[in-house]
Amino acid sequence: MKKLRYLGLLAMGLLFFVTSCSDEQDFSQIDDLNITPTISSGLFYFESDEETINTAGALSTFYSREATFNAFSERFVAEHVLEGSIGYVIENTTSKEIQIAIQFLNDDGRVLDTEIFDIEADPSGILTREVFYGTGGKSLDILVNTTGFRILARNLGDGTSESSTQDSKIILQSGGEFLFELQ
Amino acid sequence: MKAILKISFIALFFGVNGFAQNKELLYDFYEIPQSLLVNPGVKTSQKWHAGIPVISGVSVQGATSGVTVNNLFANDGIDFTTKVQERLLDVMKDKDDFSSTSQIEGFTVGFRGKNRPDDYYSFGMYGEMDIISYWPKDLAILAFEGNGGNNIGRTFDLGDLNLRGEMVNVFHFGINRKVNSVLTLGARAKIYSSIFQFQSINNSGSFATTQGANNMYESSISADMQLQTAGIRRFYDIVEEDTGTTRKDVTNLFTERVLLGGNLGLGLDFGFSYQLNPQTTITGSLLDLGFISNSKDVWNYTFSGSTTTDGISVFLPEDINNVDNDLWQELIDEIDQALPHGENESSYISWRPVKVYGSVRYDFGEGGSSLFENCGCAINAESGSNRDYYRNGVGGQLFMMKRPRGVQAALTAFYQRRFGKAFSLKTTYTIDKYSYTNIGLGANFQMGPVNFYVLADNLLSYSNIADSHYASLQFGFNIISWNNN
Repeated sequence: MKKLRYLGLLAMGLLFFVTSCSDEQDFSQIDDLNITPTISSGLFYFESDEETINTAGALSTFYSREATFNAFSERFVAEHVLEGSIGYVIENTTSKEIQIAIQFLNDDGRVLDTEIFDIEADPSGILTREVFYGTGGKSLDILVNTTGFRILARNLGDGTSESSTQDSKIILQSGGEFLFELQ
Repeated sequence: MKAILKISFIALFFGVNGFAQNKELLYDFYEIPQSLLVNPGVKTSQKWHAGIPVISGVSVQGATSGVTVNNLFANDGIDFTTKVQERLLDVMKDKDDFSSTSQIEGFTVGFRGKNRPDDYYSFGMYGEMDIISYWPKDLAILAFEGNGGNNIGRTFDLGDLNLRGEMVNVFHFGINRKVNSVLTLGARAKIYSSIFQFQSINNSGSFATTQGANNMYESSISADMQLQTAGIRRFYDIVEEDTGTTRKDVTNLFTERVLLGGNLGLGLDFGFSYQLNPQTTITGSLLDLGFISNSKDVWNYTFSGSTTTDGISVFLPEDINNVDNDLWQELIDEIDQALPHGENESSYISWRPVKVYGSVRYDFGEGGSSLFENCGCAINAESGSNRDYYRNGVGGQLFMMKRPRGVQAALTAFYQRRFGKAFSLKTTYTIDKYSYTNIGLGANFQMGPVNFYVLADNLLSYSNIADSHYASLQFGFNIISWNNN
């Protein structure tokens, strides 16, 4: 009798093994996987003291520079970016109004887009701007075709005054936040 | 990208499906000759045994301490990305692992010494593949969510990348000696013939994007990472060349590596069985205390250094005369220089995953006659002082294994029942990081000289095997001689 019980136990174990089954699996679901990370990065930082601005003189361009910038046109980025935004934060503690223009250039040096910032003299507070690209914003083509930028900084005031704020400067910060589709 | 993801998932759930190496059903199941491989000091009663080549010992084990195949791939109508987010990314921790161990015995032979009948010698060859990959939690979150949005300020731990794998062929020779009526000791020497090995186990570093001191965002990375491989490059080259003889070349290289033509190593196993009283026995074993010296076909990849960047910066008046227009490339070059990465062929030592078993067993229920009374070996047949005399055994086992992130342990309670010499059963309940409901059942059949065993774990999960955190199966055929004739 006991033997029968143990035989039954064995049979049950084997039954588990033989009758093992599995819920229906669908491995093709992996094709539906959506990987959309948000990537953030500092882009461009510009800072000038008031003395440099004064040295250039009144109503003059005190800084102009063209530089390559392939971050957006890198193949991987260009192929996978869905949308994004570039944020700017500008603070002017100098005694003169300043204009900063950032031009986005393509391979031929053609201007694709321009962001112009007019900043009042101190106390101007902090100017912020967020520019969206993609759905509801500017065309993504601007970014993916950008291979360089030109920055122009103009003094719209005099060339002699000095702000009462210690260590007076014009500062431009920028950063990008972009949504990518990896799959 | 799709292909990479597919390969990753397939590797995760099928190739690297978390398998522990615990063989709690086989341990101290001394009617099965292969129990010598998990305790060289196990009690032996046979006169000789020979495994039927290739099918004397086959074992596959799989386990995952986190997500199961069913969690992700069940045809349940839930969006797959949602499942990955909620069941993988939100739940799994960096200590969760996927691991796999499979073993196949090429041949095994054991025999009792003619002049020293207290000694039982065994030797053989088996192949083993062992892979473990911890869930790279922070890297996965970085890939899926990115460093932006809510992850600004978050520090991603690059040390989460931790994996190790190898395929080895093992040649072994062991001696099992009955020291006296209560103590049996055993030792086994091993030569490891490595087919391939890879490890990336001592990584450290971090990546974080924060509000910058100057610019809006500042990204910092500090890394000390290395992937070491041995034996992989030549396989890779053969497949990459695709000359039309790929299959033959791979087979030739594989055969060469199996037969001591690759990287070699040495290892030792130790074990004992001690009878505290006629009904109580304690056992223990220490396995794979060894290493492989990887000096051939080594291909390592390193990535180390640290840097912080907030993008392109212009400071006036310092940069007023700087007319260089290649600021972007300069930034890339600076980062590259600060984070050197490259390949090398430096030799390295890889340690085998050391395993420790221990058990205590209480035998009861006298059977009337010893199972091995006719064995002719006169070794373990003393009636009354021999646990074979008892039909039942109950006890507990402890298993511990060295893994890259510490010791992995399992606790087992077991009951064993013998039915004469014809067959015996062992059932186990095991608790470990993979499962709290692991019930296993093993059976050993002796049909004349032919021995067959089958051991299966976590039977409750067989109702939906895809939802199992752990599964294992071992089986094999041997020829055993109990008699002089």
